[in-house]
Amino acid sequence: MTVAEKLVLPEEPSLEKKMRERDFNRFLLNLGIGLLVLGTLVAAGFSFTPYAPNAADFLNRLSPPSAEHWFGTDQLGRDVATRILYGGVWSIGLAFLITSIGAVVGTIVGLAAGHFGRAADTTLMRVTDSFFAFPELIAAVTIAGVLGPSTTNMVMALILVGWMRFARLVRGLSVDLAHRDFVTQARLNGLPSWLILSRHILPNVGPSLLVLWTNSWSRTILSISGLSFLGFGVQPPNAEWGAMLLDGKAYMQTAPHLMIFPGLAILVTVLSINLTGDRLRDLIGGEALSD
Amino acid sequence: MLSVDHLSLSIAGNLILDDVSFSLPGGQTLCVAGESGSGKSSLLKALNGLMPARFEQLVFNPKTGFAVTHAGHWQGRPGLKGSRWVMQDPIAALNPKLTLGASIAESIFSKNLSEANLENAVSTVLSDVDLPSEMTTRKPSEVSLGQAQRACLARALIASPDLVFFDEPLSALDAIVQKQIAKTMKQIQERYGITFVIVTHDLGFAAAFADQMLVLRDGKVEAYQVANSFFAEPASRYCRDLIEAARDLGSLPQAPLSSGRPAEVYS
Amino acid sequence: MTDHWGRLKQIFASSGRRLVGLLAVLFGVSLITFTMTFFAPGDKAAAIAHARYPDANGFPPEILEGIREEFSLNEPFFVQFFEWLMRFVQGDFGNSFASNTPVWDVFLANITETLTLTATSLTIGLIAAFCLSAISVWRPGSLADRCAVALASIGAAMPNYWLGLLLILLFAAHLGWLPAYGTGTPAHIVLPALTLSFWITASQTRLMRAFFLEAKSAPYVETLRLRGVSEAEIFWRHILRHAAIPALTMIGLDVAALLEGTIIVELTFARGGIGSLLAGAVLSRDYPLILFLVMFFALVYVFINTLIEILQDFLDPRTSLFAFKDADIRKGARS
Repeated sequence: MTVAEKLVLPEEPSLEKKMRERDFNRFLLNLGIGLLVLGTLVAAGFSFTPYAPNAADFLNRLSPPSAEHWFGTDQLGRDVATRILYGGVWSIGLAFLITSIGAVVGTIVGLAAGHFGRAADTTLMRVTDSFFAFPELIAAVTIAGVLGPSTTNMVMALILVGWMRFARLVRGLSVDLAHRDFVTQARLNGLPSWLILSRHILPNVGPSLLVLWTNSWSRTILSISGLSFLGFGVQPPNAEWGAMLLDGKAYMQTAPHLMIFPGLAILVTVLSINLTGDRLRDLIGGEALSD
Repeated sequence: MLSVDHLSLSIAGNLILDDVSFSLPGGQTLCVAGESGSGKSSLLKALNGLMPARFEQLVFNPKTGFAVTHAGHWQGRPGLKGSRWVMQDPIAALNPKLTLGASIAESIFSKNLSEANLENAVSTVLSDVDLPSEMTTRKPSEVSLGQAQRACLARALIASPDLVFFDEPLSALDAIVQKQIAKTMKQIQERYGITFVIVTHDLGFAAAFADQMLVLRDGKVEAYQVANSFFAEPASRYCRDLIEAARDLGSLPQAPLSSGRPAEVYS
Repeated sequence: MTDHWGRLKQIFASSGRRLVGLLAVLFGVSLITFTMTFFAPGDKAAAIAHARYPDANGFPPEILEGIREEFSLNEPFFVQFFEWLMRFVQGDFGNSFASNTPVWDVFLANITETLTLTATSLTIGLIAAFCLSAISVWRPGSLADRCAVALASIGAAMPNYWLGLLLILLFAAHLGWLPAYGTGTPAHIVLPALTLSFWITASQTRLMRAFFLEAKSAPYVETLRLRGVSEAEIFWRHILRHAAIPALTMIGLDVAALLEGTIIVELTFARGGIGSLLAGAVLSRDYPLILFLVMFFALVYVFINTLIEILQDFLDPRTSLFAFKDADIRKGARS
């Protein structure tokens, strides 16, 4: 091989390869969005399922998947498919709520830390660091456990331990932005703090915030189902996915479908949100987001 | 007039600016030159209260009497009242999420103008800086560097300032645009009688504008002279070298002119 | 162009500042932990009495009052907090309500299980992640690369207790090869370790792949390539040498997740260990044990992260050190 060949050859992806790469990325984005849309449509299928999520049918206990019961029935003869649909409301909806509250709280703390001088910054970030020291699940188990296992307590616990990522991100970005020329210009031109924050800082933090929010949403879905599986979250007979897995665990040998479908629902949901989030990050450029 | 007495600035134990003084009559232009790292940009930041400088006295006199007097450290909000600042990189100086019109109008936020008056003011300054009026709805990413710098110029101008600071206003631009914008700057100064403080490393540009020259070297004043005498008889060996270098590069004409501005390349 | 000695001084200065911050965070951590249990509903004196006399039905008020005296339960919040904190700092963690034995002994009896599981999984997971990402970046965009990326995505979305259940279903219930629940023989650790290491593999592959890809197109690597150094040599001799810093960062990022994962896996497989201990303590409201365990997890997290930050300072003169200097100038500019 001549020197010239060596210069050109190494690992320079061909145009075709780049195109394939791009198509693949686009495919992933579409897949993520498609799955989300599909999920929404399926959830809209509520009104069409002939079963109620908690309607017991003792003649049809633990029956395997069939034409009437697509995902089979559980130990009380309840339709698993219906319960998975209703369970999605708990998992996805609660996670949406928790993440959104966390995002708002974290953004306020982060902006305050980034904008109101060193004393506020140090204090707020020490508080954030202190909360950060508690692994999410451990804090949630403790709070939910000590206050008594219930959905409300789980939500409170997850909110309490879910805002710090947002605070760190927003603080980091706004400290960085505060030294950009256009913010300096705004300060020199005598703009008051609230206008600098709302016109200059927040709109430029927004995209990264959205990416983190997506990321947190899927994490929270995993946390909710995990806590429910451990018995600290959504309580039976409510059809949350983790709680359904906990129920089905006892019938693992005789009725494995009780364990397959709820888990699959979690996997697919989280995967599709993650895929969308990843592509979103690629689109935005993924600046300053540490995972 | 702008008058600065014994300004010094030190950060983390390093002396960035050491005892800088000058006094600039209204409507005139001071060009601050020097190598990079000599403290040129820090001087602007210090004057505007963005860096913790010490002054014996900082006097900025728009038209009648002393408007602002500071002794010791800066206090309160940054920015000299009645002044504006045009930065080096116009894209960085404009919020990517705001339209040019919004950025320009923001400069006179405190005047609380009505929508119509605001639009009027914006279209007036746009014609002053030779920007077509449809530029107001563009984002910074949708315009050229030159247009962005004109928008920054408009943002400064709309506040009817008595003093405008320029930090290397042309060095991000290519040669033709540099020439055009320099021309616009000149027109603006002549029309409104604004005092300019221009930080630049381009002596040709300085020669076209300056009434006074201030050369910094390692944070100290190397030369402070009237422009004509600076280019004819520079105060030090170092300044002579700077001028020679600029001549060798062709940004200054070879021989100093006997009268008037030494170089008219920009007008 | 700072000299060596000056650099070292700066590192020590920043380490010192970190330690001060660390102390503040530790105080915050203990305050939050204590608050969590202090405002828990229910009569703590009754809980203690129950633990002491498990057979008794109802307690006379004198006994409850005696217990309140003994545990300072009548004092205001901050008095109780500082009393607890002083004792905690001195290493007196109190007795577990449930077993009436010192918390420290209960902890020691369980920590080995957790450490064994974590160490095994971390070893398997990191090795697997390294191999996967090395194969993956060898030909970016190849089938192997796609598979590795897909595996990482699925692993990040997979609830690890569900994976555990599936493994139990296949290897224990269906095939009967391995024991499902409990501890005892070395075979017991296989399924839990597989579960936990799958997750570690997934998250680490993602991060390592990103790092290797970035390193492969770094300017210094391009220079090596132009000099005719082979791809294999570049990878093994040049890129790997710089892998220590991101590897450290990754471990730091994942400590919390690792602790969480361990708890879930322990509970899924009904193993002993710190996670099971915490869940049991929470359910029986064993406050001394809860306080100690939560503090333990938080302290592990804080210390490992601080250690990693300091190590990064020593390892990488560019990022931390210069960021620190830059930050100082900014602070100066802001005041």
